[in-house]
Amino acid sequence: MKRALIVVLAILAILAVSCEKKEVKVVAPALPTSRLLTDATGIDDKSFNAAGWRGILAFYGDTWENQTQKGKLYDWVTAQTQDMYVPNLKQASDEKYDLIIVTGFTWADAIREVAPQYPNQKYLIVDVDWVGKPNVMEATFSEHEGSYLVGVAAALKAQADGIAKPKFGFIGGIPGPVITKFEMGWVQGIKSVLADAEIVDYYANDWGKPELAKAQAKNWFDSGVYAIFSAAGGTGNGTIAQAKEYRAQGKNVWAIGVDSDQYEDGIYAEGKSAVLTSMLKRVESATKGALDRTKDGSFKGEVVVFDTKVEGVGFSDKNPELGSEIVQKVNEVKDKIVKGEIKIHATYAAAKEAGVVPGNLQASDKQ
Amino acid sequence: MNRKKNWEQILADDRTVSLFVVGLGFACGTLLVLLVGKNPAGMYQAMLQTLTGWDITRKVWNARYIGEWLTASIPLILCGLSMGFAARTGLFNIGAEGQYIVGLTAAQFVALYFPPVPVLHWVAALAAAGLAGALWGGIVGILKARFEVSEVVATIMLNYVAFFLSRWVSMAIPGANTYRTPNFPPTATLASGFLENLTNGSRLNYGLFLALLACLFYWFIIEKTNLGFSLRATGLNKEAARYSGIPVTRSIASSMIIAGMFAGFAGAAVALGSFNYGRVLGGYDNYGFNGIAVALVGNSQAGGILASGLLFGMLASSQPLMQSRQIPKEITLIISGLVVVFISLRAGVKLFLDWRAKKATRTGGRSNDE
Repeated sequence: MKRALIVVLAILAILAVSCEKKEVKVVAPALPTSRLLTDATGIDDKSFNAAGWRGILAFYGDTWENQTQKGKLYDWVTAQTQDMYVPNLKQASDEKYDLIIVTGFTWADAIREVAPQYPNQKYLIVDVDWVGKPNVMEATFSEHEGSYLVGVAAALKAQADGIAKPKFGFIGGIPGPVITKFEMGWVQGIKSVLADAEIVDYYANDWGKPELAKAQAKNWFDSGVYAIFSAAGGTGNGTIAQAKEYRAQGKNVWAIGVDSDQYEDGIYAEGKSAVLTSMLKRVESATKGALDRTKDGSFKGEVVVFDTKVEGVGFSDKNPELGSEIVQKVNEVKDKIVKGEIKIHATYAAAKEAGVVPGNLQASDKQ
Repeated sequence: MNRKKNWEQILADDRTVSLFVVGLGFACGTLLVLLVGKNPAGMYQAMLQTLTGWDITRKVWNARYIGEWLTASIPLILCGLSMGFAARTGLFNIGAEGQYIVGLTAAQFVALYFPPVPVLHWVAALAAAGLAGALWGGIVGILKARFEVSEVVATIMLNYVAFFLSRWVSMAIPGANTYRTPNFPPTATLASGFLENLTNGSRLNYGLFLALLACLFYWFIIEKTNLGFSLRATGLNKEAARYSGIPVTRSIASSMIIAGMFAGFAGAAVALGSFNYGRVLGGYDNYGFNGIAVALVGNSQAGGILASGLLFGMLASSQPLMQSRQIPKEITLIISGLVVVFISLRAGVKLFLDWRAKKATRTGGRSNDE
């Protein structure tokens, strides 16, 4: 047994050495190196990982199709199971990347454990603000600003269509402070255009039940709701499905996309999409921003908010039916937000106190 | 003539075939890496680093990688034992995943609610996990023994039940969200300062001894006890066993109970070894399913399962190291897949050998008659 083991190790060592190419040492480039750690899905998840990866590619001047520097300056590693998060973080730290990037709250516990063991290693975690370590940059987004913009866009479209007494809906996943930011922005955006618009909201209490959102959307559309914004993960796909059905039948109703541009998901006929616009949350701006800061030496272990000003959030103008006039008006609002002329409340308590939202919403500020 | 005999003997020896098959899997993996235009040296460097801690490219030695390898192997060995134990009784336990999940969930509950007494706390959590797994396997065993319900179908269905049940009850814990429960008290974890220091801060924990003891227990029950004898007899030929007075129904039920217990322990080893909080599962961890491969390669023998568990653990924990060397992450999965496919060919080889033997006796007999 012992002999067998020694033989195996010897073979491995020989193979490992013999196939190794003598590589010419390249002069160290000025760009920092980085590694993206993902969950089991990898970078093809069409969500956080994909967006984070796009930001990394943009930083190194590469594209998805042409990743010339991959393996030299940057790469990514998956964790097949959750118990690999900590070892993968430690491995990346051992391998001394200038910046180690993870996305999403599922990584928060692992990074909180590993970061103090490698005090000189820089880490970035996206969409989390409670790690609080001196070497971990935490990127969050001003979701309320982006949601305000799509609220303005939907209200302007209702106005342009001459809808009498338009109603607007919001479908959330599980109530909590993050989803409240979406709802508050959306409602304040609508009210800034149509002060007496009626607002309805609904929480599915689940991130993965599109059938609940679809039933609720049908109900609302039937009762005269004009546009529904869902910030409910997979549940929100039900809203888009229902809007597609109704638009294909000739009804004038809309779904509003979230996080990424969901225009494609809403296509029901050639060149026609039931997704009027989408609230964009650009995770890529966070990864690129952190790399920029690593490069120029301004990286700090702090919570960095990616807002409208740095293009961290925004809206999509892909749907031609939005019209250039509305797009222009929304862009003016965007400029005002950047300049600080429009203040948007991110919590239900503050928005209620300011009297800009109705008092009967189901939003919650409690975790 | 003599050489032919040797060749047949080699094919008939399961251990040699297993080793051969693993080698073949690696050879195909190497070819694939070459085909996609990458340097296979990276693959072997990653495996070497997993097994010895030596990073050949950076010229650094770090024992932590050995520790992580052993840690990754623990649930694979235990789930392999679960699959193997049932297989020795002629049962196909697809349900190790479900038994793993109920074990994990039970361990998390005890970890959160049992008074934080040192040692006793994690012992109780382990016991609860073993019991929960045994119960989950036992349901199937009794259904099979009493009512001839196919254990394959029953275990697959119970996997789903276990998964959603686990999510439901774990989310009901006060302070839990859709992802995790509050932290365990430190007395609940299997963490061992000694093993951690020995491996430069890996998560290696007392689960290692659990896995080794389980292998020993497996060997003892199967090879050295009356129960083991009746289990094996049932597995080899159920009707013959029944005819010779072996309580077949009891064998089947007890086999599933013990198999479930092993998988339950695996769940506890992961929950209490690698995490300090309870998880609300978002998907299968797949240790139970991978256990099927471990048992197949290990010939359902205690020692074989130990070795193949270490092999699959090595593959799993060298995957990120391979990716770091730009070897696609799929390659380790492909290698394990190929090994399983080739192992299944062993059954074909057996059929071939039987056929040859039969032919030989037939022709032999005829020549005698003439």
